[in-house]
Amino acid sequence: MPSLPLARSRHDVPACIACVATHVPDEVLSNEQLAAEFSGWTADKIFEKTGIRERRIAAKGETALDLAVAAAERLFAENSKPRELVDFVILCTQAPDHILPSSSCILQERLSLRKAIGAIDVNLGCSGFVYGLSLAAGLISAGAASNILLVTADTYSKYINDRDKSVRTLFGDGAAATLICADGKGDAGIGPFNFGTDGSGADRLIVPAGGFRRPSDACSSVEVEDRSGNVRSADDLFMDGAAVMSFTLREVPTMFRNLLERANLDEADLSAIILHQANKFMLDSLQKKMKIPEEKMPRRYEQIGNTVSSTIPFVLEQEIASGRLGEGSRVALLGFGVGLSWAGAIVTF
Amino acid sequence: MSEFYEGMAEILEVDATEINADYELGEAWDSLAIVSTIALVDEVFDKAIGADTLQECRTVGDIEKAAQAA
Repeated sequence: MPSLPLARSRHDVPACIACVATHVPDEVLSNEQLAAEFSGWTADKIFEKTGIRERRIAAKGETALDLAVAAAERLFAENSKPRELVDFVILCTQAPDHILPSSSCILQERLSLRKAIGAIDVNLGCSGFVYGLSLAAGLISAGAASNILLVTADTYSKYINDRDKSVRTLFGDGAAATLICADGKGDAGIGPFNFGTDGSGADRLIVPAGGFRRPSDACSSVEVEDRSGNVRSADDLFMDGAAVMSFTLREVPTMFRNLLERANLDEADLSAIILHQANKFMLDSLQKKMKIPEEKMPRRYEQIGNTVSSTIPFVLEQEIASGRLGEGSRVALLGFGVGLSWAGAIVTF
Repeated sequence: MSEFYEGMAEILEVDATEINADYELGEAWDSLAIVSTIALVDEVFDKAIGADTLQECRTVGDIEKAAQAA
C-alpha cells in the first residue's frame, strides 16, 4: 500500500466506502457475434477500437432492478455488514421498472431492508455513481443517515437497436452495490466534490421518445439508417460519439484540475485516478491529455463493456480485491456522460 | 512525417507514406474516423474542432487547415 500524506482536506466528510460488490447478467455478447452481424467489421477491429471483448446483456424480462438486487445480495453475502445496518438506499438507474413508484422503494422490499429507512431513485448515467456518493456524503454530513446503500444498475441494451453498431459495441448491462458508512476513525473521508452540467448537449446522448415530451407511437418506432449505416428509431438510444468526445476532452481535464485545487492536493497525492470506463479509445485520449501515468489509471471494460453508472464501482471492486486500494489510499473518481453531466470526487480509504 | 499525418494514417488505416495534404478521405471518413480525428487534433494541435467542420473536410489538408483555424 503506498503511504501518502493524509492531512484531512477541509471539504471532506468523515465517511468511508466500506465495501463494493457487482453483478452482471449471464448472456454474453462477444465481438465474434457482432462481427458476424456487421459486415466490414472483424472481432479484432472491434477490440482494437473499443478495448472491449464482450459485454453482458440482461435477459428478456430481467430488469436493472433485478441486477441491483443481485449486486446488493452479493454485497451482504461477501461482507460482514448486515442488511439491518442500512438506513438509506439510493438507486441510480435510467431503466426503472415502472414510471412510478421509484424502483428504490421496491428495492427496499426485495432486499428485506428495514422499513424505517429512506429510499430514492437518481436518474443519471455515467456521472451517476459520483452524484450518488455526493448525496450519501451529504446525508452523513447532515446526520440524517449513517449507513447508505448506493446501488447503480442499468440495462442500456434494452434501449439499443440491434443494427446500431455505434452503441451496441460499447454498452453492457450490469449493477454495483456500494456501502457508504459514517466513520469518524482514521483519515477516511469522502469529498470534496466538483460538479458540472450542460443541458445544451441533452440531445447528444438520448432516447428521444418514450417520455412525455415525445410519447412512443407508430411514428417514433420508424427505423432510419444514418450516414454511417447504423439503424435506429426515436425509441432507441442515440449517441453522437463526436460530440461526446469533444465534451469529454473539454470538461474532464478541467474538472480534475478544479477538484485537485479544491482539495488542495496534487496528482502525486493520489494512488489512483478512476475514470468512468467509457471505452479504451476515450480513456487513452484522456490519459494522454491529462498525462496520467499508466499505473495510476486502473481500467475494467474488456469483459463487461461500458456499464454506465456502474463503471467506477466495477473498478473500485477490482482494485480493492487486488489489494491496490485499501486503508490509506486516496483516489479521484471522475464520472461524465449523458446529461450532459459530470462530477468528480476525492475519496480517502 | 508529422505526428498529425501519422495519426491520420492510423485512423484511415493506410500506410503513413500514403498520407499528404491532398489525400482524399473518401469512404473511410465515417463517424468513428471523425471521433478519432477530434481526439487527434486535440492531442497534436491542442485545438477543439467540431464534428460538423470535420464532416465537410474532403482531404487531409482540409482537416489540417480547419484545425489551425480552430
